[in-house]
Amino acid sequence: MPDLGIDVLLKGSNMLRLLQGLWVAMKISLVSIGISIPLGLIVGTLMTTRFKSLKVIFRIYLETIRILPQLVLLFLVYFGSTRALGWNLSGEMASIIVFTLWGTAEMGDLVRSALVSIPKHQYESSEALGFTKGQMYYYIIIPQTIRRLLPLSINLITRMIKTTSLILMIGVVEMLKVAQQIIEANRMTSPNAAFGVFLVVFILYFIVCWPFSTLATHLEKKWR
Amino acid sequence: MKKLLAILLTGILAVGITACGNSAETASAKSEGYRTLDEIKESGTINIGVFSDKNPFGYVDENGTYQGYDVYFAERIGEDLGVEVNFVSTEAANRIEYLQTGKVDIILANFTVTDERKEEVDFALPYMNVALGVVSREDNEITSLDNWNKDDSIIVISGTTAETYLIENYPDIPLQKFDSYATAKEAFENGTSVAWENDNTEVIAFSLQNEGYTVGIPSLGSNDTIAPAVTKGNATLLDWINNEIEGLAAEKFFHADYEATLTDTYGSDYEESLVVEGGKTN
Amino acid sequence: MNWEFIEKYLPMYREAAVLTVVIGSIGIAFAILIGLICAMVLYHKVPVAKHIVNGYVELSRNTPLLAQLFFLYYGFPKIGINLNAELCGVAGLAFLGGSYMSEAFRSGLEAVDKIQEESALSLGMTKYQVMKYVVLPEAISISIPAFIANIIFLLKETSVFSAISLMDLMFTAKDLIGLYYKTTESLFLLVIFYLLIILPVSVIGSLVERRLRYAGFGN
Repeated sequence: MPDLGIDVLLKGSNMLRLLQGLWVAMKISLVSIGISIPLGLIVGTLMTTRFKSLKVIFRIYLETIRILPQLVLLFLVYFGSTRALGWNLSGEMASIIVFTLWGTAEMGDLVRSALVSIPKHQYESSEALGFTKGQMYYYIIIPQTIRRLLPLSINLITRMIKTTSLILMIGVVEMLKVAQQIIEANRMTSPNAAFGVFLVVFILYFIVCWPFSTLATHLEKKWR
Repeated sequence: MKKLLAILLTGILAVGITACGNSAETASAKSEGYRTLDEIKESGTINIGVFSDKNPFGYVDENGTYQGYDVYFAERIGEDLGVEVNFVSTEAANRIEYLQTGKVDIILANFTVTDERKEEVDFALPYMNVALGVVSREDNEITSLDNWNKDDSIIVISGTTAETYLIENYPDIPLQKFDSYATAKEAFENGTSVAWENDNTEVIAFSLQNEGYTVGIPSLGSNDTIAPAVTKGNATLLDWINNEIEGLAAEKFFHADYEATLTDTYGSDYEESLVVEGGKTN
Repeated sequence: MNWEFIEKYLPMYREAAVLTVVIGSIGIAFAILIGLICAMVLYHKVPVAKHIVNGYVELSRNTPLLAQLFFLYYGFPKIGINLNAELCGVAGLAFLGGSYMSEAFRSGLEAVDKIQEESALSLGMTKYQVMKYVVLPEAISISIPAFIANIIFLLKETSVFSAISLMDLMFTAKDLIGLYYKTTESLFLLVIFYLLIILPVSVIGSLVERRLRYAGFGN
């Protein structure tokens, strides 16, 4: 059995630090998703209204966010905002802003398409049955929308957690950066640490993301 | 058609965002880009940008604490200012950016003083000597950069003086660029390139710490110094650091720093040639 | 904005854009191939192979490309497998993209009405013919939107190649910021070049999508 350098993680508080790095990433994605969901609900609902100009504005916002790589957005906000607007953002703050902008756009689009996908006759039938508008939304439309929306938004959480790996490039000390630091500090004693440590990072990402995506698939099948 | 239009508008908007960034730039970069000495003292914390993967100058040990020659000095600065030190992990290419955008108050990340950099930031008095050096494998030692074999590449770290030097003096040598020390060293060990050029202090440290490597070119380019840097115009902080460095000469602080952080790697052979005391180079 | 700087470094960005596009296209081509194979395996419920494919899909979808690349580029040499950065980029993109493409094809295959297959069989076509002339064309046209979305997603993902020292657009911008401190100009060029690469794909995507709507049967 060749030395794979996993034992490095047992030294000092290395494993704990790696997990803390993961927690930093998780925190950023959970905060962002927490803000994105309500904002996305609003944006998505507004996009189904009749106001043309509103629709166009949101469309542009959505397409801009979608077309540029997240890493480019991170750079624009992290380095660009200070220069353009004089804000002094920490890497964490810049990440939360970018992930929230992105999450709101994605969530808004999900909400919009979920709302649009509910057939018109559902509205009409409930009206014919004498439901008030409130009752109609509460008993008919919202439950159906949630069923379509929930799996997709859980998937969005997975995507966010995965994307947090990029924030290492704007100086946030998250799991990958901690991994590099550990490998660097132990270069002499365990030269093969890069294999073991990056393997563990890979597995940790999987352990965190897999339950979310499995839950999403499960819900999707159940509610189809 | 509507979607097409939307997409087009998107493009224009995105361009607009960056373009606007530019017009405001000159104004903001020169104004509030930094915190004065009093503001730092008042806040109780100073943000110091250091490397977190450049052993033995700035790195993080297995307990998660910052260590190294630069860090030792940073801690002393915090102590004498009476504030907490918040270490900010930086990469070479980000150092100037971090100062200009006020993300850190001081850069203490093995920052070589150059004329180009002086136009962007203010350097304090130096605390270390440096030149460039090239490390290679013992079985394929590189002793000269002339008559370079075009199939081989040299590893450099993006945004370092080594990169600038090679671009200016040996534009034909293929470069393999990395954004962090950690990745550059890893790739060098994995055999990505035949040589790694960096500060000679760092490549010497690498060859001493790792078996099978030798520094075939120990000194290249001009002899430079390494100094703390602050945001351009931050005179109060700059003056304070200069006084601090001069004052520390009496207790031979940087010799003590060397002995605490570098002796393990270099022994005492390099002590006199590396350390600059009181900002006075010979 | 310093236009002289922009003019001077335009060729560097152009080179980087070519690298992004070339490695991106090769990676995406492999991703499509892997995706087709995996989708076929899942669709036909091939024993054993389907479990392997399922495992692969889960692994690839639940880990970030950057972690995959770090492991591949910095970790693998420790066990004697040394791949150059270009190869790692292609391999990483194919590994990641394969599972996304597989999902797109699979849902396309599943969306083809069983009646189509049965009718074709009853017309005397062989199973292979049914696949080639009836099921696949329909499945592919159904999955085109997802397919294009995946291509855009993968093109965007190439931005992390900079972490394994590939001189792509992202690295070029970072490098120029580090070398000449021209942040605004470097970021400006970065955005322009990404738009130049991704916008056309997105536009073509929406045009194709519109045309394909008429290709559906009975809806």
